[in-house]
Amino acid sequence: MTTIQINHLKYQYPTSDFKLSIDQLSINENLVAFAGQNGAGKSTLFKLLTGLVRPQAGEIIINHQGLAILSPEDRLKTIGIVFQDPSSQLFNATVEKEVAWSLLQTGLDASVIADTVDKALATVGLTDLKDKNPFDLSLPEKKLLAIATVLAINPQIYLFDEPMISLDWPSRQLVTRIMKQLAKEKHQVIAITHDMDWLAANFSKMYVLSDGQVKFEGTPETFFGLPALSAKTGLLTPRIMQIAKEVFGDSRVYLTPEDYMKKHSGN
Amino acid sequence: MANNQQVSLTHLSFTYRHDHDAVLHDITASAPLNSIVGIIGNYNAGKTTLCRILAGIIPNMMAGNLQGDVQIGALSPTQNWSDFNQQTGFVLQDPSSQLSGLADTVADEIAFDLLNHGVDEAAIQQRVVDVAAQLQLTAQLGQSPVSLSGGQLQRLAITTAIVTRPTILLLDDPTSEMDPQGREAFFTWLKTIKDATIFIVSNEIDDLCEIADRLWVLDNGELVSQGTPAEVINSLNSDWQIGTPKVYQLARLMDWTMPDDNNQFPVTVDQLRRCADDDHSNQSSQVSISHQ
Repeated sequence: MTTIQINHLKYQYPTSDFKLSIDQLSINENLVAFAGQNGAGKSTLFKLLTGLVRPQAGEIIINHQGLAILSPEDRLKTIGIVFQDPSSQLFNATVEKEVAWSLLQTGLDASVIADTVDKALATVGLTDLKDKNPFDLSLPEKKLLAIATVLAINPQIYLFDEPMISLDWPSRQLVTRIMKQLAKEKHQVIAITHDMDWLAANFSKMYVLSDGQVKFEGTPETFFGLPALSAKTGLLTPRIMQIAKEVFGDSRVYLTPEDYMKKHSGN
Repeated sequence: MANNQQVSLTHLSFTYRHDHDAVLHDITASAPLNSIVGIIGNYNAGKTTLCRILAGIIPNMMAGNLQGDVQIGALSPTQNWSDFNQQTGFVLQDPSSQLSGLADTVADEIAFDLLNHGVDEAAIQQRVVDVAAQLQLTAQLGQSPVSLSGGQLQRLAITTAIVTRPTILLLDDPTSEMDPQGREAFFTWLKTIKDATIFIVSNEIDDLCEIADRLWVLDNGELVSQGTPAEVINSLNSDWQIGTPKVYQLARLMDWTMPDDNNQFPVTVDQLRRCADDDHSNQSSQVSISHQ
């Protein structure tokens, strides 16, 4: 099991007033969501977790090891990221080469690489497109390809920045399934999202960021029961709660239509 | 026969030049003028191609083999494009590609098309301020368009599309980069538009059901369903892999059917309210009892 421990972390961009400041935070669960408005600090936190930017103060410790001292190869195997805009992480001539690229950096055997690539492409359903140019893919296909590139490396920790954006209904189901499967296989899966319906339906642990600080840590059930806090952090409630409120004047917490049914089945 | 009060697509098929396979197959669809038509379907279903035809971009700017006919009231995007264009505003999938590239400020960008339409200076200023306020861009009027966030850029593209007061508005996935608050505000605003025929492609099925008069469902280049949101959602085929609105999911689980049709479930909050008022009028009191 992975633990991420953040201590006295501070980061400020040179060109803006925005400041990320996290005093103490430990992430132990396998499936975790970070929510918050645009500009709350979610993507900055991900950049710090991947080592893309270095904090001005404090430290990030992954399994009792400082992130700052990991070698590039260890870092690759420890933590992988799927960016919000998949185009920003694709640059190879074919889908297959795109998935193989990071693996080639690890010095693995060619046959092992070929097998790993095949398996990763099969998981995201892109096997038939392996000879295509990544830039000829549709947006959901690009996102699935970006996920395959990380699956091939199979890091301990997967970061997904707004994974549901630019997906259609079938690819949303597929990506959600993949994320849950990874969590079940004892990977740590951390997603940034502002899709509260998706968060409420699939996560049991969430953190809320606002103005560069962690304002909430706990279950969605608890968070959505605190209307003042969700308003203050600029988050909507799940659609099912809006419906219950508008139609029945009922302000209780419901995470999904199924949750509504369960709470009303009268047992 | 063309009907001047209707949107009608008749046996529309299209194959891009240099492609073998048709992207759209024999599409025949209709909707009343001045209604909102939601176009749904998954990626590669043909939604963007259909938008390009409705906008006249196909065949006037992009070539291929187009068959069949499109008529939006008295206008045809494929036959009299210049007349059609004067009446049309559109928002493409990638809003940054729509910027004129010539304007230093958001205000100038919005005014750009009005200058081309020969509107006088004072009226232009007034209209720019009005539409910017509608799309919550007032604070950005003096900024450079390139400094905007993705969601703001989409709102700017919408603003430039509506400032000429088009009678036809085409929106291809206009909220893809907006945050949930922005999206909610956009759909609330869209519902207030009068006297325009609006085509909107979107994956936001909850919002579409609330605002659309008609839904057209595309699957693999074919129009597989059309009707009111309630008709379409209640007759979805699972092969099309289309999501359903939360209202509908809830009503199905709770078995709350429409008062006038026991085979149909509601798809909007208003319809759900009518179900609740009808045979579930004691629902909310039951709720509190079971929960105490």
